[in-house]
Amino acid sequence: MSQYLRRIRLAAQIFSLCLFVFLFLQAVYPYHPFFPVQTMLQWSPLVALLTLLSSHHVVAAMWPAALILFLTLFLGRFFCGWVCPLGTIIDGFDYLIRPKKKLLSSSSRFRWWKFAILTFVVITAIAGSQLAWVFDPLVIVNRVLTVAIFPIFVFFTEAILGLLWNVQFLNKTLFGIHRFLQSFLLPLHQPYFRQGGTILVLFLLILLLSGLGRRFWCRNFCPLGALLGIFSKYRILQRVVSEQCDSCNVCYFNCRMNAIKADCLSFNKVECINSFECAAVCPKGAVTYRFGWSPKSSPIDLSRRRFLTAGAVGLLGVGLLGLDFPDRNKRGSLIRPPGALSEDQFLDRCIRCQECVRICATTGAFLQPAWLEAGWEGIWSPVGDARYGYCEYTCNLCAQVCPTGAIHLLTLAEKQQTKIGTAYFDKSRCIPWYSGDDCMVCEEHCPTPEKAIVFREGEFVTAHGKVKKVKYPYVIEERCIGCGICVNRCPVEGKPGIFLTRDGEQRY
Amino acid sequence: MGIEFTRRDFLKLASSAGLGIFISPRLTSAVFKTQAEKKSATKVDIVVVENGSPAEMVQRAVSGIGGMSRFVKQGDVVVVKPNMSWDRLPKFGATTHPEVVAEVVRLCLEAGAKKVKVFDRTLNEPRRCYRHTGIQKAVKAVGGDVFFMYKRNYVKVPIPKGIRIKSWEVYRDVLEADVLINVPVVKHHGLTRVSMGIKNLMGFLGQNRGRLHRHFDQKIVDIATVLKPQLTILDATRVLLRNGPQGGNLQDVKWFHTIVVGTDMVATDSYGANFFGFQGSELGYLREAHARGLGEIDLTKLIIRKINLDKLNSAEARG
Repeated sequence: MSQYLRRIRLAAQIFSLCLFVFLFLQAVYPYHPFFPVQTMLQWSPLVALLTLLSSHHVVAAMWPAALILFLTLFLGRFFCGWVCPLGTIIDGFDYLIRPKKKLLSSSSRFRWWKFAILTFVVITAIAGSQLAWVFDPLVIVNRVLTVAIFPIFVFFTEAILGLLWNVQFLNKTLFGIHRFLQSFLLPLHQPYFRQGGTILVLFLLILLLSGLGRRFWCRNFCPLGALLGIFSKYRILQRVVSEQCDSCNVCYFNCRMNAIKADCLSFNKVECINSFECAAVCPKGAVTYRFGWSPKSSPIDLSRRRFLTAGAVGLLGVGLLGLDFPDRNKRGSLIRPPGALSEDQFLDRCIRCQECVRICATTGAFLQPAWLEAGWEGIWSPVGDARYGYCEYTCNLCAQVCPTGAIHLLTLAEKQQTKIGTAYFDKSRCIPWYSGDDCMVCEEHCPTPEKAIVFREGEFVTAHGKVKKVKYPYVIEERCIGCGICVNRCPVEGKPGIFLTRDGEQRY
Repeated sequence: MGIEFTRRDFLKLASSAGLGIFISPRLTSAVFKTQAEKKSATKVDIVVVENGSPAEMVQRAVSGIGGMSRFVKQGDVVVVKPNMSWDRLPKFGATTHPEVVAEVVRLCLEAGAKKVKVFDRTLNEPRRCYRHTGIQKAVKAVGGDVFFMYKRNYVKVPIPKGIRIKSWEVYRDVLEADVLINVPVVKHHGLTRVSMGIKNLMGFLGQNRGRLHRHFDQKIVDIATVLKPQLTILDATRVLLRNGPQGGNLQDVKWFHTIVVGTDMVATDSYGANFFGFQGSELGYLREAHARGLGEIDLTKLIIRKINLDKLNSAEARG
């Protein structure tokens, strides 16, 4: 019975991690909405709560989050122990680095931090600044997979194939292998992302916290865990200890959440994540789990003083985040995906999961996680960068995979009319304008039915006074939709001869 | 415009050939056809077929130039090069009609080709282009091999006769192929005015092709001195007349229901210029190619056979 419970839990963990990675891998072109890749991100009650508080909008697709909260009332934090991919990764990491004695494994000293963080993010959300993107575990995993782990995986796979490629007679086989891998795993081109380093380092820090104690992040910092903990205060799935228990403390030491008191008998309903480890390790087989109501609740580990402090810090934080620029809509080089909501709404909803960035990497490779282009509050939100890629004219996948509706889903026809910016020639760099030679790469690539880049023949006077005819390119502003392919394909090395600004962008 | 081959002439020829076909369809047709085709092929430089379904036009045009077996021998590896550069649906005329490509592939396989490879270095994301142009699906259905080009599989090729460029990377499968068949779409292009066969060769090239656009006429002909398709099949089923090479506006597309086939890539391109109402000699790159001895630009010096299948009613023909 006891081993059996643990095995089910482990199977569930592996299953949900695999499901998570599977859905992650489906976020590519060609996209089959049969596997809605954003589903698991919509399971997070923290994301649902904070986007609701900051944007005052209910995302209907987030109903599973409500279901999970409801189940938590009865089952406790099963999400942390069974479903959460970050929890599973941390468990795996703990298993790998297993030091003899961990410094803070049995310490409850920092437990209040996660409730303080929850208070902080709730207050900031109410005051208008959604910070679920910093702390939500599902988002953290999806983000690091997208911009760091997957690109690194592709890089090394390609590197190995490249090394073997030097062996001439293997080429045919390697091409076959490559073709096979491409059919379900490898992208056609190496994806490149900025911010990959920052995001990877922060993720590794979370893992390395495990050096201090098992599930250190989950126990002490995760606000989603705190939220679920509050809901499991009166849970009815009880840990039951029979009289065979001789208080040997094995369960106490093996509990990764430090949820068992030193007497081995009572457990903390707020902290227990149903890993069933205690039931499995008990030498007497004295521990089991049963449903039963008990009015005994566990306290939330947050004093009134800390609660107020966290709230105050939250208010300060909103000021810091929101007051760094007079008008968010006027950041010149900030190009948002087509269909993006108005900047305030967009930031309130966007959880920086990078789902749009990932799927875009397999089409136009336009979207990149921002650094400070959108201010502190906009870190890692998707921005278009035309030197990386361009917005594909016949694509609206970013909106299809957005879990929170931060990008309004436009039909293809609508999207093709939607302006996300405008291109302008830099006449000191553009080949015809500065050297008088014909060039038409931008015009060739311009996707609008009536080309937004047109030529007009004129005379060019060279440095030596010679006069020659040249086709000068012009942008027709009202036709330009700001897709940026002209910038992307401009053959001028260094600073391109055409650039993109957000002029005339449409928001929803 | 050369010797007109009227429908009456065609019917005469076809009826005499048809006699044999009626008697024993499978056996005699092969023998009889090839003999008839070989005879006429020696005389004809360009075959133009009009007003039929894409597949049928290709079939008739190819048999008019001597049949696929004139080019493809048993066990050959063939590379068929359509234009599938853009993420556009077939109706926009920016890419080769999928049925045309599929028919060419089918004819190659029928002629005994061991493998028929179809690929292109696209300008939008390859997966999108292969899919939306309809070519991937159509070619797979008839047994051709469609794949994405692999960045390591390019070979630096010297261009001894090159004026502007002395070497360039070319996809290896092209160099290793026994037969090269170019199946471009005829469409407007901002730089060369019309994009046809010679321009279509760019899909075989590696490196930064943006650099070719300065002194383009000379550079593209440099490339053409080393890449010589044995057969060029111009897809003018519909022609993108403005806003090329990508189009996107159905008003810019005119249906001509025409397939042009020839062995001389300069001659076929020169013929293709007619769809735009001007002569081949008005195209800079074609003059350059002709001057360098790559082919004939003057259509009056060529024998052109026209076949009108007349299978379309007038409404359809107008598209």
